[in-house]
Amino acid sequence: MFVLDDLLVRPFVSIVDALHMLALNELYDVDAIEAELKENQLLYELDERSEAEYRQRKEELEAELALAREIHEEFASGRIEVKS
Amino acid sequence: MSHRYVYGVVNADEAIEFEADAVAGAETVYPIRHRRVAALVSDIETTEPERTDEDAKRHDDVLRDIMQMNGSRTVVPMQFGMVFENERALKNVLRGGSRAFRRSIREIEGSVELGLKIVSDEADSVDRDEVRTTVANELESVADDAVDNGLFSDRLILNRSYLVDHDDRGAFDEAIGRIENDYPELKVQYTGPFAPYSFVDIRIGAQ
Repeated sequence: MFVLDDLLVRPFVSIVDALHMLALNELYDVDAIEAELKENQLLYELDERSEAEYRQRKEELEAELALAREIHEEFASGRIEVKS
Repeated sequence: MSHRYVYGVVNADEAIEFEADAVAGAETVYPIRHRRVAALVSDIETTEPERTDEDAKRHDDVLRDIMQMNGSRTVVPMQFGMVFENERALKNVLRGGSRAFRRSIREIEGSVELGLKIVSDEADSVDRDEVRTTVANELESVADDAVDNGLFSDRLILNRSYLVDHDDRGAFDEAIGRIENDYPELKVQYTGPFAPYSFVDIRIGAQ
């Protein structure tokens, strides 16, 4: 749906551009990172992950989330262009 | 300059000031009233507090303290991080949302939120639909309302919040005990009581 919509409203976006965008969306998937943050906390609360492991993973995921949000904002503002 | 961090909204005649281990090092929670409603707040130096585990817990603990003072006090909870520039801005929101706040207070009066997560082992072969049906049969007749919170992990079989009247807490606890007995191979995470975050639908903009 994403590809189709994109091609319909932006006729100059090539298939390669669209695939690049899909790949970036996959790589910087905000929902997936947020889900992993919640899972990290759940595993800590269930005593399946130590406090040190929990804190380290939380820090990593929060950094990933900040980056993903930044990338999406840049995309939305048009400051990032996909080049094939 | 100090700003106002909001925990929740109560009936003005139930608003009190008390000492607490509050968000961002504050030690006092106090009311800001507008006619029949009041926001319970503490002072804070920033308008964008960082959501640390410690401060998120303080936010929840303050709300729990409010609920448990003098028996049961009804509070419409705010999510973590709601800060107003000053008292005037907050009073404007109380004025504009007064009717919605009072309606929410009536809807959740005398109730608490309880959370339930049921988690499988990675290699289990449990019938997930059967578990969900059993849980629904046990709990949904005791609870006044329930919402789904999403299965954010492959190991989660169920993740729901329940709105339960104070008087039904005992029956709800017993039902949870039966679920634990029925499925000893599963992990049951039963949490609360919380202020009923999941059962109020008020969005307010800070500042």
